[in-house]
Amino acid sequence: MTSIEQQSSSSAQENGLAIINSKAPFSSTHGKDALDIALIFGSFEQKVSLFFQGDGVYQLIADQDGSLLAIKDYLKTFSAFEFYDIEDIYVCQQSLSNRQLDENFHIDEVKVLSSIEFSAALNRHQHVLRF
Amino acid sequence: MKTLAVVVTTPPYSHLTITALTYVEAALVAGINVIGVFFYQDGVMHANEDISIASDEYQAIAHWQRLQQEYQLPLHICITAAEKRGIACDAIDNDKINNAFTVSGLGELVELTTKATRLVQF
Amino acid sequence: MSTLHLVRQSAFASNDFAQCLSVLDHQDSVVLMDDGCYNLKHSLMDSLIKRVDGSVNINVITSHAQARAIEIIAAVNAIEMSDVVELTFTHKKVITWQ
Repeated sequence: MTSIEQQSSSSAQENGLAIINSKAPFSSTHGKDALDIALIFGSFEQKVSLFFQGDGVYQLIADQDGSLLAIKDYLKTFSAFEFYDIEDIYVCQQSLSNRQLDENFHIDEVKVLSSIEFSAALNRHQHVLRF
Repeated sequence: MKTLAVVVTTPPYSHLTITALTYVEAALVAGINVIGVFFYQDGVMHANEDISIASDEYQAIAHWQRLQQEYQLPLHICITAAEKRGIACDAIDNDKINNAFTVSGLGELVELTTKATRLVQF
Repeated sequence: MSTLHLVRQSAFASNDFAQCLSVLDHQDSVVLMDDGCYNLKHSLMDSLIKRVDGSVNINVITSHAQARAIEIIAAVNAIEMSDVVELTFTHKKVITWQ
């Protein structure tokens, strides 16, 4: 194999962008800023996966209502992920249990992963951004 | 070919930006092809012509300008983030925007990410 | 599968370092920079060094530690920014914890 072929085969294993969400949804704009990037990658048909860790897991929890805080509820847009072919949504199990949260999410298709699985899933991507 | 794209999210008055600049300059000096710096979130404040930082403090904007000139380093600001912070609008000759910076969209970030062998966020 | 982790926050102030450690793989490298240098004195650091067995490579940017009057311990490599650039390309990806 030439070095170019090796490169392309390794990028076949590790492709696309992983975005780690680490902040709770309402007090900062990090979640929305990360979402905007995810949707752009989706609309350019580039692979993008979303990871929720730490306080970022609060972005996935059901029954929240940002409108009570006069915040435009960007979490509702999460339900459009399938139209953007964003299918890989991972949440850290440890972060959920640390926060006494059940696996009750406002979107389907969320995969709850152990730390080791979470790390392995991250490793399948070529680039990582964290917000 | 080693290609690098960098995302900067901190404003010019943050000391964290000095680290980003030092890193980018070290990469350029090492002969790495830095295909672009994408300024997102508060990072877009670098393009604000109205920002004035006391002359005895670190001049982040001047350093980005210098790298842009010396190395033809492309500096992109995210238009949505910039509009929110009052520094970009439709006019091409916008005198509020430092001309070392190009007003781009998030699509530019997609482009940089696809082309770069490494993406580093600051 | 190796990842370069840039740690920029003090673990005394945020959970970033803990989150980094939870995804840390052997063969990964860590660079402490900015307020991340304070982690040299955090208890998480002790557990990291114990866990390492020499496989995780831990670095700190010399000037960032010196500026903060932080002593660089023997288990950690003192490096410059040019080394961070090199590490960027000897690892497959970079995650910034800030």
